[in-house]
Amino acid sequence: MNDALLSFQQYQLAFTARIRDAHGQPVPVGVAPERMAVYDEIVFNNLLESVSACFPVARKTIGKATWLKLVQAFLKDHSADTPLFRKIPEEFLAFLRQTKLTLPSYLEALCHYEWIELYLSALPPLENPVADAQGDLAHCALVFTQAMQLLSYDYAVHKISPRHKPKRVEPTYLLVHRDVNDKIKFIELNPMTFKLITLLKSGELTAEQALTMLADELKHPQPQIIMQFGLGVLLDLQSQGIILGTTS
Amino acid sequence: MNRSQIHGAGLGLKRELIPQIQSPHHQTLISNIQFVEIAPENWIDAGSKASKQLDWFAARYPIVCHGLCLSLGGISPLNTDFLQQVKQFLSRYEIDIYTEHLSYCTDAYQGKQGYLYDLLPIPFTEEAVHYVAQRIRQTQDLLGRRIGIENASYYAAAPISEMSELAFLNAVLSEADCLLHLDINNIYVNSVNFNFDPQAFLRGIPQERIIYSHIAGHYQQSPDLLIDTHGANVIDPVWALLKDAYDLFGVFPTLLERDNNIPALNILMQEVDKIADLQRQAIPRSSKANTNTRTPLLI
Repeated sequence: MNDALLSFQQYQLAFTARIRDAHGQPVPVGVAPERMAVYDEIVFNNLLESVSACFPVARKTIGKATWLKLVQAFLKDHSADTPLFRKIPEEFLAFLRQTKLTLPSYLEALCHYEWIELYLSALPPLENPVADAQGDLAHCALVFTQAMQLLSYDYAVHKISPRHKPKRVEPTYLLVHRDVNDKIKFIELNPMTFKLITLLKSGELTAEQALTMLADELKHPQPQIIMQFGLGVLLDLQSQGIILGTTS
Repeated sequence: MNRSQIHGAGLGLKRELIPQIQSPHHQTLISNIQFVEIAPENWIDAGSKASKQLDWFAARYPIVCHGLCLSLGGISPLNTDFLQQVKQFLSRYEIDIYTEHLSYCTDAYQGKQGYLYDLLPIPFTEEAVHYVAQRIRQTQDLLGRRIGIENASYYAAAPISEMSELAFLNAVLSEADCLLHLDINNIYVNSVNFNFDPQAFLRGIPQERIIYSHIAGHYQQSPDLLIDTHGANVIDPVWALLKDAYDLFGVFPTLLERDNNIPALNILMQEVDKIADLQRQAIPRSSKANTNTRTPLLI
């Protein structure tokens, strides 16, 4: 016990140490075991519910028993520093990065992918920058919605399910965005489109410059095909509200 | 709308209920809802949809905030960054009333906050009274207003406790000079869990500090153990206790909490309507108590 603590605080520390590790720590002296069990249960179940709600695919894919052990370790080992319930899944991701438990190699990516939906939903109403919706997409800098994320993973996280556990690394590129109706949508990208959008988001190149560069890199015999394909993608992104227009 | 005053019956706002409450067809059904309550932990930085919903409610109802994670009794330093967020949130939606539980939910020591996201019981000791009262005062100073504290439900008695729950509650209220958010169901739950007389508890509270009250259902795990789930209908002995409280102190605003197994709005409204009925049948608070019935909200 730490002498710097008041005696009621020492008691509280023993009480929470037990809650965090109900299988390893004793019931504090003088506390009725059946009443301690209430806290063991409600704190764990509350946390389990919060975490499970954000990661339904991860939970089903790794199986109930492993999932329970994982959340037990989360409660025992992790020091969560946010009072906001919505951010518990973010704490869980931080825990996954640090834990020494042996887990499927795809789990962290899968959980991150599942969490992004929650993250984008919780962004405040965004005041999108001014954009010219009629602007020339090929020759002007583009303006993107702020409610989007470009993601690259080592696994095809969007295809994972209990029946489809990844057997090998499979680089995967996704664009996630929140539409005008606050719905979260995912688009799978090929590596070239991913690179194109990454280049355009930085705002340093026009679409024509970026596509010329990509065609050069690919040593494509007919660069105009790349150009046509690329501009078609941009029009599609504009129709979905991901590209708002051009800088005016 | 004068938002500093709430009265009548209220409902804890759950996201599942919002579309039903907003429906134009339900406005007669919900006419007895006179204020709504939210947990800041669920609504701060909650995104564009949530903020549109809150704007809708703020234009129509007084909103009160009832916190869950301030950890007034916690070992970790008071989270003043969070309190600043709460302060901005209260100001943004013109919310005057903020209450918290007389409990704790953090355990990290020396440095980081460690949240457990549940309400844990503070041992009833002298040291704890001073410690918690100081943190309530710190909170009130930071927010520039008095806060209310709720008598929390609990399940495990601390062997180091030196006084009763009532003595602890009253000592904290007095030393912190804060308001009381009286939870009627919690009095009942604790009276069964720890075998005391709920009416005697009620008679012992400083009624002039009541800002508003809660009523809710609970789960009976065994004859001597009730769990405060907010997941069932309010039982008759708890309604009777609310009536006793109105008879003793006069009417005060009362809010129904329902967090689990939430029924359809028309079913839920039967309990809100029952609060309103009991309030109509009881004596108004202003004619019951002589002076000081309205505690000024601002310091």
